Amino acid sequence: MKQNTTEKKYCGNCGSHNAYEYPDKVFCGKRFGEDKNPIVETLWCCEDWNPASQECHCIREATKKQK
Amino acid sequence: MDRQDILQEPVKHIKVVGKLSVDELVQQFKNSGSFGAGRLSTACDIYERMIRDEDCTIFLALAGAVVPAGMRSLVADLIRERLVDVVVSTGANMVHDAIEALGGHHYKGHWLVDDHMLYKYHVYRIYDVFVPEEDFVKLDYRLAGIYDDIATENAGKALSSREFAWELGKRLDDKDSILRAAYETGVPLFLPAVRDSEFGFAYWLHASRKNVKHTLLVDAFKDLPELVALCKRSARNGMIVIGGGVPRNSVQSAALASKKGMDYAVIITMDRPETGGLSGSTLEETVSWGKVKSEADKVMVIGDAMVVFPMMVASVVERLSGDFKRVPNNEREKLQEIEESK
Repeated sequence: MKQNTTEKKYCGNCGSHNAYEYPDKVFCGKRFGEDKNPIVETLWCCEDWNPASQECHCIREATKKQK
Repeated sequence: MDRQDILQEPVKHIKVVGKLSVDELVQQFKNSGSFGAGRLSTACDIYERMIRDEDCTIFLALAGAVVPAGMRSLVADLIRERLVDVVVSTGANMVHDAIEALGGHHYKGHWLVDDHMLYKYHVYRIYDVFVPEEDFVKLDYRLAGIYDDIATENAGKALSSREFAWELGKRLDDKDSILRAAYETGVPLFLPAVRDSEFGFAYWLHASRKNVKHTLLVDAFKDLPELVALCKRSARNGMIVIGGGVPRNSVQSAALASKKGMDYAVIITMDRPETGGLSGSTLEETVSWGKVKSEADKVMVIGDAMVVFPMMVASVVERLSGDFKRVPNNEREKLQEIEESK
């Protein structure tokens, strides 16, 4: 099932994220390696956004929860 | 041998009348003496003899996902009660121990599930146990910090996997934790394949961070002299193997290297011997290597360790009830050394 939010840049649909507080927060391995705070909002967009999607439900659920 | 020597003991039929304790049921299994029931009752007898043998060091080898499935407290209690002397485990079982020590959970799930749906929700499956990805991620994050701390404290020094396990246990504040119990009681806990678990991934996270000052050094080869010495100094050795794999071979090989061979052996597995893999290899095969003595008190129980092992422990603990307190081998030696130095 294709997510309709994947066109937008969100940390939750990039290839560097893992669930941290599902679905609101993700852990960014890339930021951790760079010594930056690795815990970011799922609906945030990182400066190093990488479009390789993990095909997960993070964005969908985070958006749903926001409403 | 005459025919009458072969037909010695008739099968007695299992009776379940009224409320039975675990050991009473095991005694009924013993009366049957057949198939899994016979093997389980023999395993209980052997474990009891190991415990009552004051000169036996008991090794517990842990493989398979028994900790996420619910065997965590049981193992921690065995360590605290000193009903095992040495634990050799897969890294993964201790990863799951640490996950719970840090507040994570394992959930009852099902084996019939849409795994791609689980993937999309960041939920991992271990047969019918579910683990949220975030519990692994939180573990990795915490471990990376813990590794920084251990590496700084031991700058440049390589730790054996046993030292590493104790360092972890020291930093986990949870009495039900196996790592914590091993650290507090001084029970050696070895993780010979530590790299092949989330502990390895956490290392990668810790070591790949920009500006990292000291990286953790763990040298699993350093385990070997310790394991061999533990076997060597003990008059007798016994092993209880759950699953098999690297933990079983590490324990058995130490018995071989110390030129002793195991005196007692209980293996609980569902693996088969025909593939030549170690986890299914029979105890007779192990005798051929000199890892288990041919005259050893031994049995292989073919069954699910999640059912067999708790029953085994419950049955034996019931037999030990009263004021029985096991003085473990290593503590006794320490006491003896103190006594002799007076």
